[in-house]
Amino acid sequence: MNEEMAWVIQAQQGSDEAFTHLVETYQTPVFNLCYRMLGEPDLAEDAAQETFLRAFQHLHRYDQKRPFATWLLSIAAHYCIDRLRRRKFSMFSMDAEDDEGNTFELPDPDSPDPEAESVKGQTRGRIQGMLKDLDNTDRAAIIMRYWYDYSEAEIAESLRLTVSAVKSRLHRARKELAGLWQEEETRAETERRPYESPAF
Amino acid sequence: MNHQPFEDWLLNDKNLTSTEKRELDLHLRTCVHCTALSATGLALRSANVIAPAAGFTVRFQERLAIQKVAERRRKLWGMMVLLIGGAGLLGWFAAPYIYTFISSPVEWFTAAIGYFLFIITSLQALTQVVSVLARILPDFIPPYMWMVFISALAGFGLLWTISIWRFSRRTPQGVSA
Repeated sequence: MNEEMAWVIQAQQGSDEAFTHLVETYQTPVFNLCYRMLGEPDLAEDAAQETFLRAFQHLHRYDQKRPFATWLLSIAAHYCIDRLRRRKFSMFSMDAEDDEGNTFELPDPDSPDPEAESVKGQTRGRIQGMLKDLDNTDRAAIIMRYWYDYSEAEIAESLRLTVSAVKSRLHRARKELAGLWQEEETRAETERRPYESPAF
Repeated sequence: MNHQPFEDWLLNDKNLTSTEKRELDLHLRTCVHCTALSATGLALRSANVIAPAAGFTVRFQERLAIQKVAERRRKLWGMMVLLIGGAGLLGWFAAPYIYTFISSPVEWFTAAIGYFLFIITSLQALTQVVSVLARILPDFIPPYMWMVFISALAGFGLLWTISIWRFSRRTPQGVSA
């Protein structure tokens, strides 16, 4: 039996300390999934905390035959999907507001990027920006596939879908992302052109 | 433009041979659609993992403590509502009997003795009926019928024991035996 499973068993028997070890181990993957799903650090923090609370409350239902990480990320993904469904029309708008009505500071797309910002960093930001346009379940599938290297079977198990449904969702999402990428490229090119010197 | 098989390779993140890679590179020079697919694939694979702000575990422990207090309070309230409700319901049903008992204890005592005597006489009558049947029935029922009856009883007994044994051995989901 590995150390993680020992913690899980101790936590199932009521040890808060063992569960704290699990929180320490999985805080980053859970937070990252929530952040990629919700797009805001504050919302991601709240969702990640809620995920661990739910896991703690339903730990007796965890099947030890499944990997603990898969079970935990499945809770996080479902929580985020539910939350996005509830906030469907207010989320990610330019005047986005949280539950208390405070506005978020969204980055200004027209502001000049500092030179120090690497191209890689821009690409990552672009991907995060495009993820929000995907369907909630498609987004969860993409995150599990590319951030956690989950197989199609593991994604299917986590999101309660069939393997073929996962495959088609991944394909659809990838094509959608490519479409958005192409649109942005075209727009950037159009914006660049008026300032370009004919000499170049 | 025909995107096959390049689109499938890119969508399935296929491990390419050197020849396939050369073919894909050639296709990407002329196809904007597949270039975008390839670029998003690369971007997704190079995306970093975001960590929460320091002190996540401490914040979780605080939240868990608040949740536990709220849960305890909820359980206490639930228990109180249940107890008060149960006591009220019991009082509602028992009130007429209590009233009768308090108003005329002799009448209640006579009724209880009458009920007790009725049970005793009924049991005596039943015993007599059973003893008469036990004397008459063996002459009417053939021995093989007795055998069938006793075998059926034994079968039911065995079935009952097995089902009890199986139910008592079943473990809850996720808890190893």
